[in-house]
Amino acid sequence: MEILIRYFVFLSFLLCIAKGEDVLLVNTYVRMIPKIMVLDTQAALHNPANKTILAVVYEDKNKNSAKKIAEEINGYYGGRIGNLSFSAVALPVEELINRHDIAFAYLTQMGKYSISQISAWGISNSVPTFSYDPKDLDNGILGSIAIERTTVIYLNKNVLKLSKIRFNETLFQIARLIE
Amino acid sequence: MIFLDKTRLSTKIISTFSVVTIVIFTTITLVTFHIVRDLTLNSQEEKASLLIDAVKSSVAISLFLGINDMGEKISSITRMKEIIALKIIDNEGRVVLNYRQEESSFPYESIQISKKILEPSTFKPIGSILLTYSGEEFTKTMNRFYTLYLWLSFGTVIVFWLMLLWINRLLLPIKIIARKVRNFKPGEYIRFDFPSTQSEFTQIIHAFETMQNSVAEYSEKLQSINTNLQREVSEKTLEATRQLYNDNLTGLPNRFKLQQDLSQMPRSTVAILNIDDFKEINDFFGIDAGDWLLSQIGRWLQEMKLSPYRIGGDEFAFRLREGNSPEQFRHDMERLISLLSEKLFLISEETVHVRVTVGLAINSEKPLIHADVALNQARALKKPFKAYDHTEGVEAQYQTNIAMSARIRQALVEHRIVCQYQPIVSCKSGKIEKYETLVRIRNEDGTLIGPYEFLSIAQKTKLYHHITQEVVYQACTLFATRHEQFSINLSGSDILDNGTITTIENILRQTGTAERVIFEILESEGIENFEKVELFITRMKAMGAKIAIDDFGTGYSNFENILKLNVDILKIDGSLIKSIDQNARHRIVVEAIVDFANRIGVDTVAEFVASEEILQNITDLGITYAQGFHTGKPQFLDPTFF
Repeated sequence: MEILIRYFVFLSFLLCIAKGEDVLLVNTYVRMIPKIMVLDTQAALHNPANKTILAVVYEDKNKNSAKKIAEEINGYYGGRIGNLSFSAVALPVEELINRHDIAFAYLTQMGKYSISQISAWGISNSVPTFSYDPKDLDNGILGSIAIERTTVIYLNKNVLKLSKIRFNETLFQIARLIE
Repeated sequence: MIFLDKTRLSTKIISTFSVVTIVIFTTITLVTFHIVRDLTLNSQEEKASLLIDAVKSSVAISLFLGINDMGEKISSITRMKEIIALKIIDNEGRVVLNYRQEESSFPYESIQISKKILEPSTFKPIGSILLTYSGEEFTKTMNRFYTLYLWLSFGTVIVFWLMLLWINRLLLPIKIIARKVRNFKPGEYIRFDFPSTQSEFTQIIHAFETMQNSVAEYSEKLQSINTNLQREVSEKTLEATRQLYNDNLTGLPNRFKLQQDLSQMPRSTVAILNIDDFKEINDFFGIDAGDWLLSQIGRWLQEMKLSPYRIGGDEFAFRLREGNSPEQFRHDMERLISLLSEKLFLISEETVHVRVTVGLAINSEKPLIHADVALNQARALKKPFKAYDHTEGVEAQYQTNIAMSARIRQALVEHRIVCQYQPIVSCKSGKIEKYETLVRIRNEDGTLIGPYEFLSIAQKTKLYHHITQEVVYQACTLFATRHEQFSINLSGSDILDNGTITTIENILRQTGTAERVIFEILESEGIENFEKVELFITRMKAMGAKIAIDDFGTGYSNFENILKLNVDILKIDGSLIKSIDQNARHRIVVEAIVDFANRIGVDTVAEFVASEEILQNITDLGITYAQGFHTGKPQFLDPTFF
């Protein structure tokens, strides 16, 4: 049942992107993901010499969707948000976990194993890992953006402690911390 | 300022204190008002600001992330009733949230606070929050402040009123002291009975008491000085009165006393006695002897019970007493003259006879004047006694003289002194060779006044010299344009007046007529002052002028003097000429004069030649020139430039 629900949510997300029927929903994700990235006070330290890299992570079956999201982000922000120059790239899970220059990772739909790998990678590298589904928090993802009655940001309190990520204090005023 | 000067001391103190207090109170009130108002307002603004700060960061992150949950974020403060409205606006001016309390009307003023919303990461402005906060607390605080100060003001007024009463009570002794001192008079003693009072008032009272003692002491001294002064003033007044009314020499009442006595009655009878030739007595025996004589006469007159006054140097006066008749008074005066002429007075062991002249005015309105007129008449008539008679017209003559004197003065001012010229004809040739200058006054109507009417008066009023100078000027100016000789009459007083002589010399120089002028000097006047006349003749002859002796044959000058004077012409007196054809004695005198003149080589002029017979007679006698109505009447001459 849970798998069905997750699938349904992601399917809706893909449908929004693919068909452009719910542009507002897509825009909400595209706009929020880079903003949450810049709230990480250490975001620029992961790749000091070059642009900060925002990774849209995918498993093989969602490669196109990930690329599409990355393009949308780059197109919307033009490679800059606030004082930070960044670039959104679509990366497969295997590549992501071997890299150390990634500042933020947004997960598309993927299996629990991949999620666990990314979660461990994020904790060890102090990289925020966000997904569209709050259930992923149970698998060690740091945060999740949920479109409910209003947009809600969930944060995993344990992962936050383990990963030693330092978000701007103001984020905690709107985010809901989950144990 | 005058109002303040007259204001009571207590009022001044209270007024000054009130003004100072009002100024201080008002200043403190205004300052306090501003402080309280600013503090209260700041406090309310601070509260509103804190409320904004409480939600600002969460609002900022929501606005930053584009999460539309502002309502929840601000719900923590919008629950407060003080929040009237809250508005969130993004950078593009879009109103992201617009909250307003449901209650629409608010009785108090509101406070508006605006703050910028900053981006969490870059702190750049991304919007603003505008909070409208209720001013209820501010208004209530200020109302409490007003109430407090209202009560404070009321309390202050009450305190002032009580203070006024207290100051009035404190200053009450001053009023009592002033009331007592106001009617203080030297010689009185004021007692200040204040059982207990301020030390300042005790000092004032002590000072007043000391002053009273000093005033009493000085008052006594002043009284003593006043008494002495009054005595001295009385004595001096008496002395002054005595000197005012009495003659110092004889001790008799003086002219002023006589005038005062006469002023009591409308008409009086008065006699004035003048000692004849008293000047000679003074000159002969000296002034002291003269004074001694006057005092003896005064004493003698007193002994005669005539109540004399001494009214002048050598004049005494008498007044008809009540009960006596004017006839009796006249008789007394005549008897007095008789007795006095027999009386011998002693001066320096010499006996002196005194002759007197008395003028009497009977029942006259102006007794002193009339008695004086009568005295002058008596002296002129060389009588010892004369009573004033108004029918003689003496006063009218005086009036005429005064009027003539005024006319002469006016004529001099208005240049109406004019000259006529009578021809003097040569007996041999019958031609006019000279003119005699004759002065006239031309009246305003053109008629002429002859010299006999005004010259004698002019001599007495010291206008004569002015007339002489005018005549000399006119004659010299006229004959400067003609070729004849001309003569001008000079009086003895003219010759004695240096100013007149200097003026004549100046005119002669200016007109260049000295060679043709002849000055006629009256034998009867001039020769009496021989030396001065000689000096005058010398000065005139030095300039080229000729000298004639006028009216020769009537005076008493001897021929030796005439010789010394070195005159050029003898004008034989008209009284000898006018009857020369009928009076053999006159003819003999004229012959003698002509013979004398011929011998000393001077010309002769016969005056009053009124007929052909007279002219023939004088021609036969060898007289050089003839002058009279027959040979030519006085006439005005015109300048004839030659």
